[in-house]
Amino acid sequence: MSKVVVVTSGKGGVGKTTTSASISTGLALKGYKVAVIDFDVGLRNLDLIMGCERRVVYDFVNVVQGEASLKQALIKDKRVPSLFILAASQTRDKDALTKEGVGKVIEDLKADGFDYIVCDSPAGIEKGAQLALYFADEAIIVTNPEVSSVRDSDRILGILQAKSKRAEEGEDPIVEHLVITRYNPARVEAGEMLSVDDVIDLLSVPFLGVIPESEQVLNASNSGLPVILETESDAAEAYEDVVARFLGEEREQRFLTEEKKGLFKKLFGR
Amino acid sequence: MSKVIDLKGSILSLTILNIYSDDIQQVKLEINEKVEQAPSFFSGIPVVIEPKVSLVDPTFLALLVEFLYQLQMIPIGVRSEDPGIQDQAEYAGLALFPPQEHKARHKTVPEELKEDMPSEIGALVIKHNVRSGQQVYAKGRDLIVLGSINPGAEVVADGHVHVFGKARGKIFAGAAGYADAKIFASHLNPEMVCIAGMYQLSEDIDDKAKEGFVEVALKDNKLVFNSKILG
Repeated sequence: MSKVVVVTSGKGGVGKTTTSASISTGLALKGYKVAVIDFDVGLRNLDLIMGCERRVVYDFVNVVQGEASLKQALIKDKRVPSLFILAASQTRDKDALTKEGVGKVIEDLKADGFDYIVCDSPAGIEKGAQLALYFADEAIIVTNPEVSSVRDSDRILGILQAKSKRAEEGEDPIVEHLVITRYNPARVEAGEMLSVDDVIDLLSVPFLGVIPESEQVLNASNSGLPVILETESDAAEAYEDVVARFLGEEREQRFLTEEKKGLFKKLFGR
Repeated sequence: MSKVIDLKGSILSLTILNIYSDDIQQVKLEINEKVEQAPSFFSGIPVVIEPKVSLVDPTFLALLVEFLYQLQMIPIGVRSEDPGIQDQAEYAGLALFPPQEHKARHKTVPEELKEDMPSEIGALVIKHNVRSGQQVYAKGRDLIVLGSINPGAEVVADGHVHVFGKARGKIFAGAAGYADAKIFASHLNPEMVCIAGMYQLSEDIDDKAKEGFVEVALKDNKLVFNSKILG
């Protein structure tokens, strides 16, 4: 049974694409057949973060408009088998996507036996974002622990509940999950960031976990590696936890509090 | 290129001439009397004729129009639902105006709202959270929100508003003018509360009112926050 998962946030720059890349990689590592689609037409990002930008021949818009077959456009990941990327076009804009076209692509992916179809939403609440969430069965809401990001996530949650296919056809609502990225316990303690409790209190969405703020995320993105593959980094472990919890596993929350520096670290400055 | 013409809608104020008699001689006499009191006032004014009786004489309007022109008034149209009068108006070259809409509803009487939608009995119940950007309107009745009202959300009711979750958005009770409407909330920290048009912003609300159960009511044109209502 294939599942369509949208990764969305409302606000831009909170880590949707990073999260899409890591979660789809994580699911593929668990043995599922995964396709990840970049809905941010006009501003490709996902192919850069997945390190396949030089292998894009046909893109999502080509497939939607019938200029290429899915088989031609799906890029097979070189590191993880059973992971495929459908890149966004850089030369078109979001108007090139139609509901019927996107629906057809998703149906074809389901027929192809994909277990998870991860839709990386563009920022905003307009057409592009609405198309990315329209066909979703589950949604991963990505939020930074700050007021404007949380507010925008609340807005997109309202749209998920009102304007998705499931809502329009009166089916069971989209299953919602929350991931808080760029979490910095020290700044939370200093009162500069909202705490996990504040965010959950406001959004009241089941919580998958935090991704700690770290340089590793940026470095991994720059080198075209989903950060979940940057083994031994906190961010990779955090994403690994998130994927496990997404699949229903119970795991204790980590990275919520500041790591106390031991004497050794203090002496040697890390 | 400069514009040659332009069509635009506009609301104008016109003089209505109500006619209560179908006797053209009597009507002429009365009009003459009125005009003599202030001839300059009536000179050149556009007039819409509104007959309040049915006009049996098929030449009535034509004669009246002729007479008004003599007095330097400019009859431009007729307002009537009577097909006979409408025919006469067409013949006399007068425009037809739609009959006046029923008077705007008196806003402070909730009974009229109930009449408005007899099928909507009881309160509107919202079981989930009302999220940023969402609006809920309980027209002509109470609103009960079992979830929270998040910042950026708006709930509106013509009756009372009850919030069981956290009330953090904008809350309007008595939106159609019902001044006895109240807001009940267990955690009130709203962006705004408003009853029958009187509103108060978050920063003007006493912090004490933001703890525990509170009732908001309108007294002497002021919002009163009562947290002791449950004793």
